[in-house]
Amino acid sequence: MTDALSQTFAALADPTRRALLARLSKRVESVGELARPFDMSLAAVSKHLQVLERAGLVSRSKDAQWRVCQLEPKPLREVDGWLDAYRRFWDRSLDEMAVVIATLHPPAGKPAPKRKKRKS
Amino acid sequence: MNIHAPKNEPLLVMTRQFSAPREVVWKVMTEPKLVQRWYGGHGFSNPRCEMDVRPGGRWSHLMRTPDGSEFPAEFVFLEVVPPERLVWRSADFETSSGAHCNVMTVTLTEGRAGTTEWRLVVRFKTLDDREAAGAMGFTTVLSQGCERVEELSLTLTVSPGETETASLSPSL
Repeated sequence: MTDALSQTFAALADPTRRALLARLSKRVESVGELARPFDMSLAAVSKHLQVLERAGLVSRSKDAQWRVCQLEPKPLREVDGWLDAYRRFWDRSLDEMAVVIATLHPPAGKPAPKRKKRKS
Repeated sequence: MNIHAPKNEPLLVMTRQFSAPREVVWKVMTEPKLVQRWYGGHGFSNPRCEMDVRPGGRWSHLMRTPDGSEFPAEFVFLEVVPPERLVWRSADFETSSGAHCNVMTVTLTEGRAGTTEWRLVVRFKTLDDREAAGAMGFTTVLSQGCERVEELSLTLTVSPGETETASLSPSL
């Protein structure tokens, strides 16, 4: 694992920082806005943002009047998340599809899984 | 499930085996009441699934994640050949651009002893779109807060050289 990747993972290892990233994946926000829903001080949130910034996951605009934080997706791409996200979505869906299939077509020799049958 | 990302084509290819004839798999993919039971996976719900399964027909969908976020999606079916081939794409495919603009093709092939191979090919407009799709999907995963970093690190066992034709195949 490269140093940059270790830093990305260390940054992602904290649930507060993941929550901050999740917020920033929807829109850019100021530190104050970001801190509001969290039960912690502005300084503590700032500290988390610094970790994210060092890992290259977040950038802050230099506009002094309206300093906003922005998600930087590149390091996320480097952890190969893009492929993983697809794999997860379809893995989950297909596992569940297999459950539905088993209710319609129970494996030979086994009773049908107990599930409420829908009348359709 | 297997997932494969060819290096030079904007595709993702996924395959999975089911122990049922393809008529059953077809039904589960094309009857809205059944699609609502599996789309998104365990913990997800699908308050809306309206399908007009014929070429040119619409598929209007609303998925709800375990944390309550809702994701609407509009698709159009392009090819409908029961029980072997279903093709659909995003409804705004021609007028829009970006990661959500893709064509999905599912092919069902009969295997031995009444099994079916399910194969999905997702075709994006560009390679960049494919990667952006993943980056967005990744942040969605983050926002659901139900994923663990340890699981993510599993993907790192695939070296950068291999990711070009990454074949992540968790044993199922």
